Amino acid sequence: MSLRERELVLQAARGDAGAFAHLVREHSNLVYRVALRMLGSSEAQDACQEVWVKVWRSINSFRGDSTFSTWLYRVTINTCLNARERVLRRESLELREEMPHLPEPSGSEFDPEATTLSRERKDELVSALQLVRPEHRAALVLRHLEGLSYREISDILEVPEGTAKGWVSRGRAAMLVLLARGDADGEAGGKTGGKP
Amino acid sequence: MEERWDLLEKIGAYAAGELEEAEARETERLLAEQEDHRRLAESYTRMLVLMSVTAQESPEAPEAMVNHVIRRAYVAAFLQQAETFVSGLGRSYIGAFVYYLGLRPREA
Repeated sequence: MSLRERELVLQAARGDAGAFAHLVREHSNLVYRVALRMLGSSEAQDACQEVWVKVWRSINSFRGDSTFSTWLYRVTINTCLNARERVLRRESLELREEMPHLPEPSGSEFDPEATTLSRERKDELVSALQLVRPEHRAALVLRHLEGLSYREISDILEVPEGTAKGWVSRGRAAMLVLLARGDADGEAGGKTGGKP
Repeated sequence: MEERWDLLEKIGAYAAGELEEAEARETERLLAEQEDHRRLAESYTRMLVLMSVTAQESPEAPEAMVNHVIRRAYVAAFLQQAETFVSGLGRSYIGAFVYYLGLRPREA
């Protein structure tokens, strides 16, 4: 954490709204991006506002043991996990006889070189993500969408590194099953058959 | 069924490049054995590319929302200061009233 950021945090903790405004401006994209990926666009803004209210109220409890962004990630993830959400437990995912496979995308639809992706594919990805069990989703977002290390993820989620790895792994598998089924828009199954 | 989930996860970890050397070799052996497993690994790779492309996008927080949050903080800070001021003033008045009525206990 930079000296300037530490100073802003200390000032905000003393009730300085100007310092807090600086922190909001600097980190609002991080909070919004994570909320968007955790909850989808309809709930992301409300969650963001809730996150900043919590940050304002509890910034004096920030001890500086981790970086401010790690702490902010934690507040954001916890807020999103508590938010109203559609939960599809992994147990209800049915693994069919055949292993899940994603069809090869057509060239026009998907072009990693140009980092373009059709709106439809993005929506599909985000919708599938919403159906992954919340803690697995959080770990998956932090790992594959935020690009954090397992050490950072375990710090944010306050779980051992092994647990963070397990959650990412399960989240990845659940995502693949959901995307392969192409039913990310609706609640899937309800049947048991997955690994507990 | 549990074994199938384990296999699914292992191939996912392989596609993400997260396996140790020995485990990666073992998984490659599994991939070489079955076409289904190879297709699964390819599917994972596709999904991970999809995610990495999505990760490169950085949606910006709506300006109106950011301003709303900041306004709220200013209002909260103002109310907090006003509360401190008013309660301080109140305490002073009560102190003065107590003194006026002669109710303050005498110091020994």
